[in-house]
Amino acid sequence: MSGMSLSSLGVKALAANYAALQTTGHNIANANVAGYSRQQVELSTTAGQYNGGSFFGRGVDVASVTRLHNEFVTGEAARSASVAAMDSARLSHLNGLESIFRTGEQGLGNAVGAFLNSISDMASSPSDTAVRQVVLARAVDMAGRFNEAGQALDTLQANVTSELKVGVAAVNGLSQSIAEVNRKIAAVNGRGQQPNDLLDQRDRLIAQISQYVQVSRIAASDGSVGVFAAGGQSLVLGDRATPLVLMPDPSDPRRSAVGLQSGTKPMLLEAGTLGGGSLAGLLLYQNADLSEGRALVGRMAAVVGLAVNAQQQRGINLLGSSPTPAIFGLGAPQAVPSTSNATDASGALMGQVSLSYTGDPSALRASDYTLREDPAIAGNWMITRLVDGQPSTDAADSLSFNGTSASFQGVKVTFGLPPPQAGDSFLLQTVSRAANGMQALLRDPRDLAAASPLVAAVAATNTGTAATAGLQVTATTLPFPGMTTRLTFVDNAAADPLNPVAYTYTILAADGSLVGGNATPRPWIAGTSIPGNSGDINGFSLQLSGVPKPGDSIDIAPTSVAALQTNNGNALSMLALRDMGLMDGKTPSDAYAQALADIGSRVQTASSASDISTAVADQSEQARSSTSGVNLDEEAARLIQFQQSYQAAAKMLQVAQSLFDTLLSTTSR
Amino acid sequence: MRITTSNAFETSVSQLQRRQQAMSEAQQQLTSGKHVQRGSDDPAAAARAERAMIAAARADSNQRALDVSRSAMQLSESALGSAGELLQQAREMVVNAGNGSLNDSDRRTLAESIRGLRNDLLALANGTDGAGRYLFGGQGSDGPPLIDSAAGVVYAGSPGEQQASAGESTPLTVDGNAAWLGTTDPADPTARLSVFKALDTVVAGLLTPGQTGAQVAAVVSTGLAAIDATSATLASWRSRAGEALNRIDGIETRLSQGKLAAQTERSNAEDLDLVAAISDVQNQQTGYSAALKMYSMVQRMSLFDYLK
Repeated sequence: MSGMSLSSLGVKALAANYAALQTTGHNIANANVAGYSRQQVELSTTAGQYNGGSFFGRGVDVASVTRLHNEFVTGEAARSASVAAMDSARLSHLNGLESIFRTGEQGLGNAVGAFLNSISDMASSPSDTAVRQVVLARAVDMAGRFNEAGQALDTLQANVTSELKVGVAAVNGLSQSIAEVNRKIAAVNGRGQQPNDLLDQRDRLIAQISQYVQVSRIAASDGSVGVFAAGGQSLVLGDRATPLVLMPDPSDPRRSAVGLQSGTKPMLLEAGTLGGGSLAGLLLYQNADLSEGRALVGRMAAVVGLAVNAQQQRGINLLGSSPTPAIFGLGAPQAVPSTSNATDASGALMGQVSLSYTGDPSALRASDYTLREDPAIAGNWMITRLVDGQPSTDAADSLSFNGTSASFQGVKVTFGLPPPQAGDSFLLQTVSRAANGMQALLRDPRDLAAASPLVAAVAATNTGTAATAGLQVTATTLPFPGMTTRLTFVDNAAADPLNPVAYTYTILAADGSLVGGNATPRPWIAGTSIPGNSGDINGFSLQLSGVPKPGDSIDIAPTSVAALQTNNGNALSMLALRDMGLMDGKTPSDAYAQALADIGSRVQTASSASDISTAVADQSEQARSSTSGVNLDEEAARLIQFQQSYQAAAKMLQVAQSLFDTLLSTTSR
Repeated sequence: MRITTSNAFETSVSQLQRRQQAMSEAQQQLTSGKHVQRGSDDPAAAARAERAMIAAARADSNQRALDVSRSAMQLSESALGSAGELLQQAREMVVNAGNGSLNDSDRRTLAESIRGLRNDLLALANGTDGAGRYLFGGQGSDGPPLIDSAAGVVYAGSPGEQQASAGESTPLTVDGNAAWLGTTDPADPTARLSVFKALDTVVAGLLTPGQTGAQVAAVVSTGLAAIDATSATLASWRSRAGEALNRIDGIETRLSQGKLAAQTERSNAEDLDLVAAISDVQNQQTGYSAALKMYSMVQRMSLFDYLK
């Protein structure tokens, strides 16, 4: 045993404590670096030396510098942050969508209401062009609001696309960086020591990529990790990264989709498989919420526009002409071919499909549809309604047909030349584009058709209490133009005790001569209109108030030429649209309130989902930080601890020195 | 659980932010006075408010239509009243004409006066509401609905009644065809008699010179019967107009009640309970200021402060 061993003990202790101080300093320096894992020096006692019958300790060694890190907790933090990013991306865009469904006076519902209500003033003064001008102004306003909403929806779509583009570029940059860090880690893998700061950097990069798309990681034996997205598609494998690409959605090229650039052709990643991250949130919003919002706005535009146009065409305008020009122009329904449809030699898509309205606006649904081959019946085609971007599973929402045309839920599908090829599919946007380009076509207030071509008059000799409560013209072209329909009520109690009064009718020419008619009594059912379901008579629907008696008669006659400027029959029929169940059985204003609540509750649900997932993410991050984060008070304590040890070690050197000096002075005498 | 410095800072800052956001939302609600500003604030209430707003707008529109109908019915009622008085005058003149002491020239004078009354009646029948609508225009009449023709006065408009769009059916016009031309002829129950034809016949009868007393008496008695019949028709149409006015009053009451109900409904659905809101905001303020104080106290503490 020599004085040298004490000083070497002191030197080792000095070095060990210096290393500990250095690591503490590193921790303090990185306290605010996101994703940094605090490090600590692992000290080990140097094996003792056997000397003079005892083992003497030889001091301390620095075994390694390790980071305090729990892979599960770090992975959980990244995963929950990924879900939170998805929910918050969807929520922030839904807020934009909600701003289209405004409440109150600024809303679309109010614009429709104001337009229809203005027709009431026209009904009060049909010949007053000033009042008609107001109707036109309301029509322009309403069409403008719908058009604006359609444009705003396009802007929302453009925002989604540009945000997806930014996200895809960020993911590609990050996966490139991960591949690079993987390479560096693999290079130092053989040394038996962990490259703590590189590992932290990689964890941080994976956490960042999780903000865009949820990933899973699998460690390889060389120290690198593979990063996988969308249920097993590799983004990073070792030091190679596979880029994502932004591509048009094959089923609807106006929408965007994310694909993986593996090989020459990008492979589509289905939005549902992405799991989390802002890209998943954006795609979910685009495919479900935005398309639903578009369909709701478009359906309202289409139904109101088509119904008003139809009634307008049944009336007579101030200039005396009929049918009159349409009031509203609408965006046409579109059949969008999938980009994967069959192409001809020049690369152009072959199959042609066109859409048109059947003339029954109330049958229209607020949805898009798909058209594809019926998987069950060879040679058949199938139309299926989409609900939130997914095919409806309700059998009533599908139509399988054989042939080149079919009508379904208010729309007629017609195959062109060449017809769709085997394997083709189409997205049928029946109403989604209607609001875009909606405009008021009329410029001349006199073109509004306030007058009805038919008037109903109760015979003066009637003994019953029946009066006409409403006469609607239901056909653009009357079966018997210029002729009078005379309804004659008869006693039918013997044949039909429940509806004792029935009616027969005759069609009379202008000179009073008999042209046709039906002597078979049709029951008059109180509260329903004539002819109701009994088969059309002359393109009208007559509602009675009061009760007719057998022998009474009502004439539905052409409106006198001298009354066309002052008759308000058709204006009243247009007004009746306010109360018609045109949209899934709901009136236009009710349907808007419904749409408002639908979008509102989507936002509400998304908002609480985002609140929850953010709280979960915060908690996981806290758990991660609790393991790996730096606490400055703790580091301050360690500073004191290691400083004292360092001072003690220095003292040892001093003692060794003084021992040596004592020895020297003793021997020098 | 280990607390780490940067996470502790971040957590407390984000909590402060959340509180601040809640305060700003509460402030927004207070300034707008509405607790539903967007559909997502309360989807069901937003839908209720929307329906109520449409109902109130509809009530306004119905009220305007009702006002037009009321003014038309008031004018028609008073026109029919005046017509009744004119016919009464004519009737008195016809009675006078039956006086045996009158000669041809006296009867001519009376006949001319009756003709004048007849023309006044025609002007009344073609009266407008001042905005171009003929009171007796039926279901539409672009020009005067009752016009003199070779066959007597005929109806040029569409017979029937025009309806106003006031939610419940109220008339905008009176069926001039039935009121003026639609009386059952007392002399021939299968024929229609007009007010004008009744007077025209009497005038023609009185103008015929050299009649015997019996002939004059016959003219007078058929004339009186015709005038009475047409007068009764006009009176019945007058009472129909009066009855329509009564109904209009009832409809107006219902409309204003409906509008009030709609406004109340809208307010209930979307307006803010001010008292609750103010106390909420004060609560939040207290909480926020306490949180700020705690933050500044706790986050300031560090072991480094004690290492000197």
